Amino acid sequence: MHSKYAGIHYIVPAFALLTLVLFSPVFYGVWFSLFRIQYGSPTDFAGLDNFRDLLSDPTLPATLHRSAIFTAAAVSITIALSLALAIWIHRLGERRGFLVQIIVIVPWIISTVVATLLFRWVFVNDIGLAGSIARMAGLDDIQMLNNPHSAMALLVAVSVWKRIGYAVIILLAGVKGIPDDYEEAALIDGATPFQIFRRITLPLLKTPLLLVAIVLTLSNLNTVETPLVLTGGGPGDATRILPMDVFDRAFITYDLGSATALALAMFFGNVLLVLAYVRLAKWKT
Amino acid sequence: MTAHTALLACSQGQSVKIPRAHRRILSTVTGLVVAALFSLLVILNLLPLIWGMLTSLKGEPDLFRFPPVIFDFTPTLENYQRVIDSGFLGNMRASLVYCVVTVVAALTLALPAAYAFDRFNFPLRQPLFLLIVASIPLSLGAAALLIPNYLYFTKLGLTNAWFTLPLIYTAHQLPMAIWIMKGTLEGIPKELDEAAIADGATHFEVLRHIILPLSRPALGAAGVLTFVGSWNEFVASSVMVDSPGLRPIQPAIYNFIGFFGREWGPLTASAMLAIIPILITFALLGRLIVSGLTKGSVKG
Repeated sequence: MHSKYAGIHYIVPAFALLTLVLFSPVFYGVWFSLFRIQYGSPTDFAGLDNFRDLLSDPTLPATLHRSAIFTAAAVSITIALSLALAIWIHRLGERRGFLVQIIVIVPWIISTVVATLLFRWVFVNDIGLAGSIARMAGLDDIQMLNNPHSAMALLVAVSVWKRIGYAVIILLAGVKGIPDDYEEAALIDGATPFQIFRRITLPLLKTPLLLVAIVLTLSNLNTVETPLVLTGGGPGDATRILPMDVFDRAFITYDLGSATALALAMFFGNVLLVLAYVRLAKWKT
Repeated sequence: MTAHTALLACSQGQSVKIPRAHRRILSTVTGLVVAALFSLLVILNLLPLIWGMLTSLKGEPDLFRFPPVIFDFTPTLENYQRVIDSGFLGNMRASLVYCVVTVVAALTLALPAAYAFDRFNFPLRQPLFLLIVASIPLSLGAAALLIPNYLYFTKLGLTNAWFTLPLIYTAHQLPMAIWIMKGTLEGIPKELDEAAIADGATHFEVLRHIILPLSRPALGAAGVLTFVGSWNEFVASSVMVDSPGLRPIQPAIYNFIGFFGREWGPLTASAMLAIIPILITFALLGRLIVSGLTKGSVKG
């Protein structure tokens, strides 16, 4: 009864499923990437050729560069705005705060495909609402998706809009956890609001901020839907970021060798972020 | 809160040097800023839903009218009819089945696992739990995992079946569900189980009759997040199943973008049909979503 292994059978079904769907494909992917691939099945052993081909692919550096810019911009803007929103919502008090919170997470609970589609229709499309208002105001057609820079800016904007609700909720929980006495004591000592933010709020939010930063980085770095629905990667390749590239290689051009190699590289990049996440999550519990 | 602190400051014998008139202007300005911020949020977050809803009810002539009309049009269901004629109800049924199976499976697997992680002390317990925690954000990287996953499932012959997507959705949501429930179990006093065990109950009976009833709020929070996550999933759904009868709504909507092109009537109609179950869930269980997110604090 009191064997050393008591209770372990309760986790077996969960781990069996995770092994089948999450863990073994990684090993299979590594194995698969070492072969030359034709018609979707591995033929002869190729060693690291797939990775070498990938590194010599002339389009890769530009794709990496775009992904880095997109992710850095989306994550930093989301964090700055969500921190301001969380502090604001906290000050609004319980009931009004909850209402604002609900409105803030609406884009987050809708799927990325649908949210991006509606955003595009209302704010971007030339015959959509914003486009029509611009025309009524006498402005020329602003074709934001035809210019590489504005298309990228729009991609960042949609990503911030879609994901900010998640960040606000996590940071709000953090802000609520800071005892009010700290701020009151600081006020009595004559601290300015900026000093309070800088010396009390920010340091005490370090863990949730880092957690949010990691999760946002992961989700922006891996988003397929946002560029797919908003821009289709265009104009040209201006908004073609890494995950879209992986998908096109695998399912449009059927270059499974380089797709697998690139997916694995992304996966190990994700693992690094996840390790940082685990350290923080462990610290939190 | 500011009034309170000012009062506090006064009672401590410190002078607060803001003249009253000044303060009134300040509070008006603050009020205006708050109102402006609030309107901006409403415009950005709710307008797409409202405008999408209105568009979906407009017939062809009203849709292309310039300047666009807000309420002065004859509502029609023809866009919905076209979407349904394209088989969207089948996609919705598939999504619903997948989500129900996923929620049931995820909760059934997660509760015992959380129980084991919280109440027992088997070898490797700690590293295995860390593996679970690590899997939570890992499933966010679905794009990277999916190519190997697709190859592996193709080899095993597990793609393009009714169970393919529930299997994947469950694996993606399970770690988060375990984490949320483990957090709740930590708050249930161990003395309850010990007393029951002393009275001769088995561990399974403890799980069934003590833990299960007490962890209902956590089951609710994890269940809602699992449902929303699976309903909204796109990447795996578009890759892992091929036949139209198995296709859930998100890839179906994406296909509509190619199919209907610039016909925003049917496109917004399909978007509305996809959103309605989510909005109903949200209206009824919004608090659970917020609390689940706060507890899980895990997914973007």
